[in-house]
Amino acid sequence: MAPKRAREQAPRHVNATKQTLAPDIITKRTKRHLEELERSNYTEPSITLDDDGEGAISGKNRVRQIVSDKRYLNDPNAKKKKSSMKVRTALLYRKNLATLIEESRIAHLPCHVPTYLTAAAPPPHLPPRLLCSVCGYKGAYKCKKCAMPYCDMNCESVHAETRCERRVI
Amino acid sequence: MQPQTTVILDNGASSIKAGLARGPEGDDDDQPKGNSRLVPNAIVRSKGDKTTYFGHQLERCRDYSALHYRLPFEKGYLVDWDAQKAVWDGVFSSEVLNVDTAESSLLITEPYFNLPNIQDVYDQFVFEEYEFHSYHRCTPAATIPFGRLFQTGGPSPPECLVVIDSGFSFTHVVPIINNQIQWYAVKRLDVGGKLLTNQLKELVSYRQWNMMDETYIMNHAKETCCYVSTRFFEDLETCRSNPKKNSIVREYVLPNFSINSHGRVRLPNEELSATDQVLHMENERFTIPELLFRPDDIGLEQSGLAATVAASISLLPHDLRGMFWANIGLIGGSTNFPGFYERLSSELLSLTPVEYDLQIYRSEDAMTEAYRSAFAFANDPAFPTHVVTREEYLEVGSNASRRKFPGWQSSSAPGDAEISKITQESMTEDRGQPSRKPSRPRVRTITAPGRRR
Repeated sequence: MAPKRAREQAPRHVNATKQTLAPDIITKRTKRHLEELERSNYTEPSITLDDDGEGAISGKNRVRQIVSDKRYLNDPNAKKKKSSMKVRTALLYRKNLATLIEESRIAHLPCHVPTYLTAAAPPPHLPPRLLCSVCGYKGAYKCKKCAMPYCDMNCESVHAETRCERRVI
Repeated sequence: MQPQTTVILDNGASSIKAGLARGPEGDDDDQPKGNSRLVPNAIVRSKGDKTTYFGHQLERCRDYSALHYRLPFEKGYLVDWDAQKAVWDGVFSSEVLNVDTAESSLLITEPYFNLPNIQDVYDQFVFEEYEFHSYHRCTPAATIPFGRLFQTGGPSPPECLVVIDSGFSFTHVVPIINNQIQWYAVKRLDVGGKLLTNQLKELVSYRQWNMMDETYIMNHAKETCCYVSTRFFEDLETCRSNPKKNSIVREYVLPNFSINSHGRVRLPNEELSATDQVLHMENERFTIPELLFRPDDIGLEQSGLAATVAASISLLPHDLRGMFWANIGLIGGSTNFPGFYERLSSELLSLTPVEYDLQIYRSEDAMTEAYRSAFAFANDPAFPTHVVTREEYLEVGSNASRRKFPGWQSSSAPGDAEISKITQESMTEDRGQPSRKPSRPRVRTITAPGRRR
């Protein structure tokens, strides 16, 4: 326990001297928040979907499980068609979007071809508004330590007690 | 010989809109015309009743607390084929569509700018796994010209139109000229229903109850309580001045899964039992959908929807822009927020160049608008000319669909010979038919037969 506490304490000390966080840390914090907002579930449990009866087998030599194979709709004796090689591969090896974007090589297309990467909306023209990170009202002030906006002393104390620096990486 | 039945799958990241089209004069006994089945596109594990529900089976679930979702889509793109197959198997089975895939044609939607390597897997599943006779793959917006969204503007859809598709994963602005998507001008805003629900979950969990695991309930709360404000700061003041008792606050009664399985908004003067738990929806009601118009409120460095529409139109040929401003259509579940249309109109009006008129069309049911348009497309006599057949696929593989389906890969930048030809044609036509542009008042309030909110 002790070393962990020490690690938690360390950035606080740095902040106290530096007053505010470096902009790149705030950018990182925002990025992480946006990634969190993409999640389908808050808690990613260790349980897999096929632990109904036989129990999930963990470990490396576990055979890859496919949920779509495990269900027999209506007729449990229905003759199961053997899937083609390509389909089996797609079922067994899931790739995340970042890998797929990499493999699709859309980043290497000539610049006049529009792609997923170039289609993002342009950056905003207006400066960002400050909204209180606690209550959502207009936030006129920023936390000295972590730069999150707040609106009054009441929200400031809530912020300091609950959230201040929690998101700091 | 083209089969009579066409399976229509508007394959959304949150829900699949599925149905059958039986040709122009086919009988639609089992499927009322244009009606779709709404199937959640997820494998859901319920903690309460310890059961896993695949897609359409979720309607059997009685305990919606702490559902664990496995979604085939990540950031709007299909990545988990195992989960997707599990859901599709259910959709094609006798429990939903009851269709023999080998004897049918398929019309399926894909995300905008779908990656080529993902597209190949679509082909593989359609032909190698389900063995469809033939299929067509396109984006939801590409079907809209076949539908009735722009019907009120004239008997045939306008040549130039903009579709705003705000769905679960993101929001796209899609300009279309003569049924061709102008890919160079398509813009994406990374705000969709999923992000909004997650943000609501987070705010509520920080301020009131811990709802981080209650995606289903919070999504319902979002759909029943949230609205887009046209006077954001005024509404903020209202909420601030008199917390818990003002015209904006709503009390959302959380479900307890013994008596009621769905949350509801407390009616005025409604008596609540002592055990009922109430969620106070205050400025959450409008600060959440606000993110569609101000993504920078959560630090997302993208323009709001209105500015994105303006940016997209500014990339289009100069002489056609007026037609785009006058033909903007809204589809997708996230356009359903009350006030969405009003806010977008007022913001767009200030961005519309003075010489152009602004008109926005909305749908009776924005979520299934693309499905109904796809239904019309599948019944179109020309539909069989757009498909790739299994024989073609077996012969040349995915090259067949790369050649046939108009995707962003084959798109051209403005200034290309083809585009300027269209431009010329449309210009002359436009002069002949001035009715394409709405007349006098710059914003017409007579809109599509949408629900007035």
